[in-house]
Amino acid sequence: MDMPNPIVGGGYSHDLLLHDSDEDLVEGTVAFVEQGLASGGQVLVHSSEERVTMLRQALGTHPRLDYGLDGDLYLSPTSTLFAYERKLAESPDAAELWVTGTVPFGADHTQHPSWSRYESLVNEVLGPFAFHALCTYDTRTLPASTLEAARLTHPCISTGGERVDSPDYLDPADFLSDPRAATPRQPEWEPAATLTLHTVEDLQHARHLVSGIGASSSAVAREAIDGFVLALSEVLLNGLQHGRPPVELTAWVEAAKLTCLVTDAGSGFSDRLSGYRYPDKDGPKGLWVARQACEELIIGNTTTRGCSVLIATA
Amino acid sequence: MSHGAYAGRVQPVDWPQSAWDGHLLLAYVSEQDRRSGVAAWVRRGLELGAKILYVERPDVPLDRSLTAVLSERKVDSVPAMGVGQLQVVDSVREAVDPAWQASVVDEALVAGYPTVRLSGEASTVWTVTSPLEHLQVERAADTLCRTRPVSMMCQYAAREASSTLQEACAVHSAGLRESLLHTVPTPDGVAVAGEVDSSNEGILRSALAGACADLLEGLGAFVVDLSRLRFMDVSGARALLTATADHRRRGGVVRLLAPQPAVDRLLRLLDLDRVDGFILEGA
Repeated sequence: MDMPNPIVGGGYSHDLLLHDSDEDLVEGTVAFVEQGLASGGQVLVHSSEERVTMLRQALGTHPRLDYGLDGDLYLSPTSTLFAYERKLAESPDAAELWVTGTVPFGADHTQHPSWSRYESLVNEVLGPFAFHALCTYDTRTLPASTLEAARLTHPCISTGGERVDSPDYLDPADFLSDPRAATPRQPEWEPAATLTLHTVEDLQHARHLVSGIGASSSAVAREAIDGFVLALSEVLLNGLQHGRPPVELTAWVEAAKLTCLVTDAGSGFSDRLSGYRYPDKDGPKGLWVARQACEELIIGNTTTRGCSVLIATA
Repeated sequence: MSHGAYAGRVQPVDWPQSAWDGHLLLAYVSEQDRRSGVAAWVRRGLELGAKILYVERPDVPLDRSLTAVLSERKVDSVPAMGVGQLQVVDSVREAVDPAWQASVVDEALVAGYPTVRLSGEASTVWTVTSPLEHLQVERAADTLCRTRPVSMMCQYAAREASSTLQEACAVHSAGLRESLLHTVPTPDGVAVAGEVDSSNEGILRSALAGACADLLEGLGAFVVDLSRLRFMDVSGARALLTATADHRRRGGVVRLLAPQPAVDRLLRLLDLDRVDGFILEGA
């Protein structure tokens, strides 16, 4: 099928399909999958069990066509994002990956912004790869705010047959600063602990402090606390080495969540998206590891000190 | 460092007391670390009822002396000093003489002490020996510790050249201790316990490289037991890579044994399980 604004093979695309019927969903998905298979690439269709069953009936089978369930593939925005990055960075040849489906927004609308930020970050993280996505959003069930965020995070809007540039699209850095991204902010209540670090020898005290209060005052799983403490240690080290000491640590504890704010006394940090791209073999990896070891890692600048990094377990 | 509301909950690193025995290298980053190490080592000796000989030059600065360290760290050493159980030896030349060491050990055992402990700063010994002689002294000490009821703790500043630390690591059969990290030689490699971050990754690198260089060229696997390593950061993982690079380049294999889940996850994130020559083995 010839399309007015075709997806360019070998490049990157991240399209939004808004649909208000199953027929539109199936039609758009079929068009996308046909293109992917024609390009010689690997195609993945993912969704809930019910949707996958429906789409499988329309698409049938093909050696390069896989079906996946969100419950297996889309466990959290961070793990999903970096799983795709790893898969693409480590793929031996330039085989294209075509993915279509809906991220699992779920019934709890307060969780939607974290997946909307994922949609935006896909552009940053997967942009360098031969990757094509068609994200299908059901306008019958998703709230208006989530649909609006989708227009801001997808460079193109597609019907499966036709594609146009999204007039509302924002670069990831701009989207993350936009109120509609609902990027987490530091809690407004009293912190559980604070600590000032002057040298790398203080890192251990910060780790022991946060791991201790996490274990004693929250129900966060051991594994998540350990990952969080690794992220914290790397972020603090960054502040000591690339910012300027003293580095201030503030920690908040909730039943199901640990949050830490790290600020240094340097001149601030300009790249909010640092640590997302797949690192060079011998390049720095601390921030890239930190981003994967916790669920949220938000870089900003403070008004009174230098760089600020907010990290959270959920 | 200022502490917050939870400062009282900071967990100290908790080592088994026996980890202070044998021919041990105390690597210290700060003078505070050295003092903590010396105090804990003496305390362990007093608990064992050991004869304790501490070597220090007569002109040691007062605040660095054993007496100052023990009083600052609240180790009650007055009774032990009174009865001669704890003794400061100020003749360094004598203290490094194997014949002198053998005779004081014999004397103490005859006097009824179950075991003898000696400690001092390596830099003190360098005032009377060449580096090569010092290594021979350390080798003789290691033999003494392995064949007699003797423990010896040699204090090295972590800022010493990595080659110095590396060579020293290879001759301390009870391993290396630092405030966060403990490495112990094993028959086919080294066991690592505690925590590694960028404050002590250089020490881990020296310990690993020292143990690794001891292996016969290209023969067998170098086994790094990670089962008691509680924390490792990216710089620590890099230390694993660089310290074993020569061994792997000449065809040697490095087996990373039983890392705890968080360390395992880090090593896999950094693809160490796929680096040539590394084998990552689960718990």
